[in-house]
Amino acid sequence: MIDYLISIATYVGFYMILALALNLQWGQTGMVNFGIAGFYGLGAYTSGLLTIDAGWPWLGALLAAGVLNMLFGACVSFLSIRLRDDFLAIVTLGFAEIVRLVLLNEDWLTRGPRGLPIDVQPLSGSLDRESYGIFYLLLVFVVVGFVFFVTERLRKAPYGRVMRGIREDDLVAETLGKNVLYYRIQVFAVGAFFMGIAGALYAHYVQNISPEHFTPMLSIFIWMSVIFGGAGNNKGLLIGASLVMMIIEGTRFLGDFIKFIDAGSLSSIRIILIGVMMILVIRFRPQGIFPEERFRQP
Amino acid sequence: MLQILFNGLLNGAVIALPAIAFTMLFGILKFPNFSIGAFITVGAYAAMVANTYFGWQLWLSAIFAMLITALLIWLSDQLVFKPLRSATSITLLVVSIAVAFIVESIIRLIFGGDIQGLDLELTRPIRFGGFRFTIDQLWIIGIVMLVMLLVSIILKYTQLGKAMRATSDNFDLAEVRGINTSHVIAATWLMGGLLLGLSGLLIGIDLVIEPQIGWFLTIPVFAAAILGGIGSPYGAMIGSVLVGLAEELTGAFLAPSYKVAVGFVIIAILLMFRPQGLFGLPEIKK
Repeated sequence: MIDYLISIATYVGFYMILALALNLQWGQTGMVNFGIAGFYGLGAYTSGLLTIDAGWPWLGALLAAGVLNMLFGACVSFLSIRLRDDFLAIVTLGFAEIVRLVLLNEDWLTRGPRGLPIDVQPLSGSLDRESYGIFYLLLVFVVVGFVFFVTERLRKAPYGRVMRGIREDDLVAETLGKNVLYYRIQVFAVGAFFMGIAGALYAHYVQNISPEHFTPMLSIFIWMSVIFGGAGNNKGLLIGASLVMMIIEGTRFLGDFIKFIDAGSLSSIRIILIGVMMILVIRFRPQGIFPEERFRQP
Repeated sequence: MLQILFNGLLNGAVIALPAIAFTMLFGILKFPNFSIGAFITVGAYAAMVANTYFGWQLWLSAIFAMLITALLIWLSDQLVFKPLRSATSITLLVVSIAVAFIVESIIRLIFGGDIQGLDLELTRPIRFGGFRFTIDQLWIIGIVMLVMLLVSIILKYTQLGKAMRATSDNFDLAEVRGINTSHVIAATWLMGGLLLGLSGLLIGIDLVIEPQIGWFLTIPVFAAAILGGIGSPYGAMIGSVLVGLAEELTGAFLAPSYKVAVGFVIIAILLMFRPQGLFGLPEIKK
């Protein structure tokens, strides 16, 4: 049981990193990203392949995954130069689908649908199974703390004011002499970097990744976390991510109470539940549980 | 070559009706509705129920599928989108994705995830030298062309069509001029639902029926609509044929599973260089 809780907490950590990254892109700057699963998967596979096929140490591979993601993030957001915001949603979603297709089809590199086994882990061998779980949990939460620190600093810095300015009205920001395109690309790339690191951490944790792990469903869960917690509020979405995980895992136990539900229907019910809650939150409490803090003039 | 053209036309025909529905809804409500794919799936399953469980004729199943889809998509508007009319396009987009997942999951819950098909007579493909096609495929192309003609006539000559075009062009102005915009919105949802339901049946004939069938079509449909200039039904028709041809031409040197990617690349290139689409006029930003 305690093992189970530790592994759930680790997953919550991955979700928190992704949600913080999305909050930077969407909550603060207003850039829609529906390709979270794509960036996450790209990070996971980059780190996995570098350690397995190229013999890199995990930390190097982790950072490489982040940097590669940053480049892709910059390219994807570059497409938004002349775009309406909602077209960026289509572009990012398409990006995620392409990543998934490449992972599925290029099996000479990614091992295709069978999945990629990864046996490289930080500090592997020196700890027994139980304490290793706790160690990894701590490692993930150190990263969560780091990402939280960086995003909070950005939010409170003058940089954060520009981000919110772009979100509210990019024309005003442009008129005030801010290079909006430059800011957009930077913010998107930094968010993608965090998503890549989350993916790498995930890959070395589960030790077997396959394209099925990176479906649009995952992006929806992260969106749900941010909307639930309150867009623009970093602390709120940490709670949002935990709540979403509680719903996902909680519905797992539904099967114990109601015997005639099989695993397939259960996952459908879970998705319906998450979707309905998402619509209800947007309808009745669009600012989320913890609304964005208002800034006073210092 | 003839074969490639024909297959391209067939691909285009399959995505043309949803592209028209998508672009019409976008024109009036100003957000990309991601749930249209899910309603194609609804149409496909409704047609399958009518065809295999009730044992109805195909044309009767088509009408059944269209009515069910129109009813459900109208319900989705009443329950979900109508209370959010004043929300931003991003919010509506997020909501429409949630709707898509809910609808798809309900279908999966009822019918399971297995691949199913319509009760069709097996027909032998007709051959001319190296060129082969089936009667069903001719029917699909014929029906889609007929429906496109019908949509054009409705938009151009009927009072409803004129009201739709006016509302799409300038919502506030249409309202001031006494057009009942809430009726126009409802009519657009219903018309979109009819088109999506029919395309669900056609896809069921052309391919197989499974819960994700509509989701896979979302990107090509968006590509067609954006290519033709979003908000323009005529553009969507031409855009669909072009996307269909592009998918088929690239199929010559790319794995067929990358079809979706073709649509995406078209979107990306187009948005870079000509965001208003091939036939659209530049949007004037105030």
